[in-house]
Parts: sequence; C-alpha cells; structure tokens
Amino acid sequence: MTWIIILSMATLVFVSRYLLLEPKLPLKLSDKTLTFLSYSAPAVLTAILAPIVFAPEGHLDISFNNSYLVCGVVATLLAYFTRNTLLATVLSIGLFFIIF
Amino acid sequence: MLENNIVDQRTSRLKSRSFLKGLLAVMPLTIAVIPWGILAGSLALEAGLTAVQSQAMSAIIFAGSAQLVALGMIKAGVGLGSILITTLLITSRHLLYAMAMRSHISPLPLKWRLGLGFLLTDELFAIANHSHNNSNNNAAKQKQHKFDRWYALGGGLTFYLGWNMATFMGIIAGQSIDNLNELGLDFAIAATFIALVVPTVKKPSILVCVLVSLTLAVICAIFSIQAGLLIASISGMVAGVVYARLTGEGRQLARELPSEDNS
Repeated sequence: MTWIIILSMATLVFVSRYLLLEPKLPLKLSDKTLTFLSYSAPAVLTAILAPIVFAPEGHLDISFNNSYLVCGVVATLLAYFTRNTLLATVLSIGLFFIIF
Repeated sequence: MLENNIVDQRTSRLKSRSFLKGLLAVMPLTIAVIPWGILAGSLALEAGLTAVQSQAMSAIIFAGSAQLVALGMIKAGVGLGSILITTLLITSRHLLYAMAMRSHISPLPLKWRLGLGFLLTDELFAIANHSHNNSNNNAAKQKQHKFDRWYALGGGLTFYLGWNMATFMGIIAGQSIDNLNELGLDFAIAATFIALVVPTVKKPSILVCVLVSLTLAVICAIFSIQAGLLIASISGMVAGVVYARLTGEGRQLARELPSEDNS
C-alpha cells in the first residue's frame, strides 16, 4: 500500500511539472485558469506554513513565548524589506535555533 | 582538427562554469532545506514506512511539502484518494512554474525536458527567476538571453542531492533519536515558505488570498479538521480571484501572466 501511495504521488507530481513543458501538448490553459492558478502558490504555501507559525502546539499561541511566531514575523519583515529570499530564510532559521 | 578541439574545450568549460553558478545560487536554499529533509526522513519512519520507502519518497517524489503533508495523512490513517487529492492541490502550483518556463524548456531535447521537469521545484524556479530579475534595468537584453540549461541543471541537481542527503540523515537520526519532531525543525518549512510567499504579494488580491488562506488554515488546525489544507487554499484562491474581479484588477493581471505561446 505504501508503495502504491509513493508511486502514485510521484506520478502526479511529475505530471504537474512536466505537462506544460511538453511541446506537442496542444492544450492551452485559458486565461481564467491561469489567473486562478496564479493564486495557487501563495494560497497553498500559506496554508502549510500558517498552522506551524500560529499554532505550533496545536492550539492558537499569539505571544512572545511562541518562537515560531516571533521568527516568522522576523522572516516576513526581512523578506519584505530586503526582497531577498535567501537572506530572509537563512537569518530567520538561524535566529530560531538560537532562541528556541 | 586542433581548432575543433579548442572550441570543444571552450564550450565544455562554459558549461561547467554555468553548472557551478547554478550550484552556488541554490546553495543557501539547499542549506535551509536540511532541517526540513531531516524531518521528512524521521517522520516517514514514524509514519510506519521502512527506511527504503522513506528514502524512495525523497528520491522519486522529490516534493517536500507534498511529502510532509502526505506523511501526516498516512500516520492518521487517511485513505489513498484523499492523499492524492491533497497532493494534486499542493502540486498544482508546478503547472504555473512549468507554464512560465515553457518557452525556455520545451524546445530542448527530450532528455533535458524530462530532467529539468523532474527537478522543477519552488527553489529551482526561484533561482531561475532570480537571475532574470537581477538586472531589471536591461530587461530587454535579458529577454534575448538564452535560457541556460546547465545553470538550471546545476541548481536542480544540487538541490536534489541536498534534499536526499538530508532525508538520509533524518532516517539515520530517526532510528536512534526520539522526538526529533520536537526540535523545531518544522520552522525551516515556515521560514522558506514565508520567504517565497512575501515577494509574490504584489497585488491587493494576492494579499486577500494569503490572509484568507492563513486564517482558515489556522482555524482548521486548531479544530483538527483533516481537510484544512484543501479548505484554506481553495478558499484563498477563490477569494483572490473574486477580489480581483470586483476591483477590476483582473485586466492588468492577464497582461502580466506568462503567455508563452511563441511557436
């Protein structure tokens, strides 16, 4: 069963990456689909990261004792003001492991 | 004959230089993914996978967020159908990445298309875009620039190896250390995604999308709703689209989107 899960997930992921790189593919995504898809990265990534940051223990924790939230805010500010993905990632992870 | 040799040597030197450039560009993101890979390896063992299956996940799926979410679902005993629907949603953003890179990659030979397609992650897309954005002032020149397949391969392969080595470390560590998931390794996921999301918030509608997704994801997590990821991300996407349509932002958007049908 586990192998079936792994192989079918691998197929799905690879198809999503390769499909639109195939030159023979006649299918063209409509503008509406593309517009909808342009929201998928921010929506999905946020939906994964938000519970980690706001509820690391499974319950809502908005306080300075929540290192995830403090460092998440630092990462957001760094990413916003420096516009540098790498800097924001590495510095906020560094800070996290110092204060956690 | 001699001249041919010199030309060959020169092109191969250019290729390895591009490859090295890609390797260096992706290095910080590869380092940032190490805690995350360790988590993927140890969580896989915890979810009941064998060591081989755990490594195979990283080696053949090669999609961190999909792997971690699926592992949570496997552990919770969720069925194959739900896992695949969730995977489809998480992986759907790759359609857009591929669309944006279509004009560069689709003219390449099959083995390059398959290779770069397999390696197309958030991180590879980020460095491939980064090199474009670096010289905004001569954007016109940049457009004529040929896409560098060796740069992309260097970045993609480095990241692939890093991800798999980190997973391997997690499998080894997971067998000897208990409670690896209490070390806060999951913050690496949050930090990477924050740094990837923030620069995409260029329009009010994307901010709306992010805020809706964030709020619903947190609410669902607090109430332990299994389908939280699906609910939050689809609601966020719909909210963004609706907001854009109501405010007339949509017409601008259509022009900015990658419409790469040059053939």
